[in-house]
Amino acid sequence: MTIPGPLVLIGVPLAMAAVLQLLRRWTALMALLAMLTALFCGLLVSFVPLHETIPSDTLRIAMEQPLNILGRVLVIEPVDRLPLTFIFLTAAMLFVIAWRLLPHSNFFPTGLAMVALLAGALLVKQVVYTALLLELAAVLAIIPLYEPVGDQGVRHAKGGAQYIAYVTLSLPGLMVTQLLLELFAIFPNDTGLLQAATVLLGLSFAILLGAVPFQAWLSTVATDGSPPVVTFLFTVNLGTVWFVLLAFLESYSWLGAQASFGTLFTTIGLLMMVGGGLLAASQRRLGRLAGYATLVDNGAMLVALGTRHVSGVALAVMLLLARPLALGLMTLGVDGLRRLGSGDDTVETLAGAARRAPWRALALLVGGMAMAGFPFSLNFAAHWGLYRVISATNIFQAVVALAGCAGVMMGVIGVVRVLLAPLPKSATQVRSREDPVVLVLIIVLMGVALLLGVFPQSVSHLVLQMAEGFTFFTS
Amino acid sequence: MNPFNLWLSRISSFAAGPAAWGIFLTGALIYLINEWRIRFLILVVQYFFVGILFARIFDTRPEMALLKILVGWLICGTFLISARVRGQVISRTGLHLRWSSRLPFRLLSLMGMTVVAYLASQRYPLPFVSADLTLACFILMALAILFIGTEETDVMATGVGVLNLVAALDIFYSSQDPGLLVTGLLVMVSLLIALATSYLAVVEVTE
Repeated sequence: MTIPGPLVLIGVPLAMAAVLQLLRRWTALMALLAMLTALFCGLLVSFVPLHETIPSDTLRIAMEQPLNILGRVLVIEPVDRLPLTFIFLTAAMLFVIAWRLLPHSNFFPTGLAMVALLAGALLVKQVVYTALLLELAAVLAIIPLYEPVGDQGVRHAKGGAQYIAYVTLSLPGLMVTQLLLELFAIFPNDTGLLQAATVLLGLSFAILLGAVPFQAWLSTVATDGSPPVVTFLFTVNLGTVWFVLLAFLESYSWLGAQASFGTLFTTIGLLMMVGGGLLAASQRRLGRLAGYATLVDNGAMLVALGTRHVSGVALAVMLLLARPLALGLMTLGVDGLRRLGSGDDTVETLAGAARRAPWRALALLVGGMAMAGFPFSLNFAAHWGLYRVISATNIFQAVVALAGCAGVMMGVIGVVRVLLAPLPKSATQVRSREDPVVLVLIIVLMGVALLLGVFPQSVSHLVLQMAEGFTFFTS
Repeated sequence: MNPFNLWLSRISSFAAGPAAWGIFLTGALIYLINEWRIRFLILVVQYFFVGILFARIFDTRPEMALLKILVGWLICGTFLISARVRGQVISRTGLHLRWSSRLPFRLLSLMGMTVVAYLASQRYPLPFVSADLTLACFILMALAILFIGTEETDVMATGVGVLNLVAALDIFYSSQDPGLLVTGLLVMVSLLIALATSYLAVVEVTE
């Protein structure tokens, strides 16, 4: 019996998600199985050539064979390999991080189900199904995002409701676009249909990516959501949205060919960078700082696409690949420090917290610096490349982009300055005992981040290869 | 077309216009009344009106319209359970008709949005969609904007807004492409949104 590759990539995580629901009592086992499943799918799509069939006695996996569901086709194309590898491996990394942070959590089964849906969104070829699968994955995320953990204080669920609302607001645009494109195929002289489709697509992606003025959900979710799940949203979910955007630009080349494309992307991107930078610089809550850092990062990716160069696509993808490491470190930091403040992550509550939890503070500092594009991180290589590309045509834009990142850096410094302050006399002087596994995770993540920062060539070579697969920018 | 379907088609074409205004009326009441057990009853009626509109779309497959009504009522049930849990936690007993806060503002914004929805349905008719269904789509969208925009601290009211938006999209999209897969996925989306909203409503209080 031959199984199509897409069925394995969607079916295995979904089946494992169902099994994990029964194993909620054993966190380590759940985390291990979730991680192994995601790792298996990631390695399968990454290393097995698409034209090959994996032989076995009873079952054979044909990676290239399309999966047909009621006439709708899901197929793995060469350009899908990096996105799929990215979402599966990032999910695997986050399952390991969540092992010690989210005991008995629904995050492991739900995370696997979400990855399966997102893989489906990348593999299906009709816009309407992509949109619906993205929506389903986003709504599923709410359960682990607001799962009660230990004795943390009262939470507000406003961010969750806002996230659902924003993602749903993007749904009509994407679904109607499909209809407009079908109509355009019947009436090719009606260019109004294309203009309407462009506006709707642009608006939908702006909402999904949290572009200004639709950025409210990013900071609210980061403030009151569970840090590992927020990181999952900002890397795996948002990463899928980015790759879907690239796939759309590839499929509908007239989108990228429109005269206003570059200006629009650059302007919105710079607005996001400046706005996010200003808000990050004045931030007094750790969660929000991560949210605004992500806003700046998304802005940088839009600016990179606005250059209309292949190198811009490569830089955007490189920024995306660098994000999980930096945000993963920030997650470990925010989670630990938030626990010290009994769920409160305002800097006033956490004054001197670095003396009680030095490793968590260090993780926050290193992750935050990486998100700001500071040297010795993979983000730096991507940011530096971006400044060089945009300064070649407009030095002012490069300075504005740099200022946005400087805002994030100022925010990180401001927070760390308070964390390093002397402990208040009323506060407990006892140093928090660090979980050895978390400590190892922090050291490993910092080591990998540093290594990739010093030797970014391996990643840049990979993303350049992938970017060349996209042909919507010719130069 | 069999006689039952023909009869249903005639009834639904006659009832579609009043059903669109029925959706408006029920949405307005949910917006103005701040008691979830009353809101639940009104929501049940609203989903019945939505079902009438779907009967107009699926005139040869009335079971699809019935499915939409049943899913809607399932959503109402989920909301009622969450409302009861919330009520127990904050020790509220008895059924009291309480108007929402800032009533004049709500009335004003409701009137404004209704005028906008009506004029938009006249000015921008949706392609391949009848006038009644167009009006219903715009009314549902207006209600969605009201709920999402002005009820951001009330998770369940925001959820109702999001579900109104999905219903508008469902009516519009099903008119164009009444395929089984999209319908099924939209049903899943609606159910998951209801579950997530109910979950958020309970978590926010019980922690």
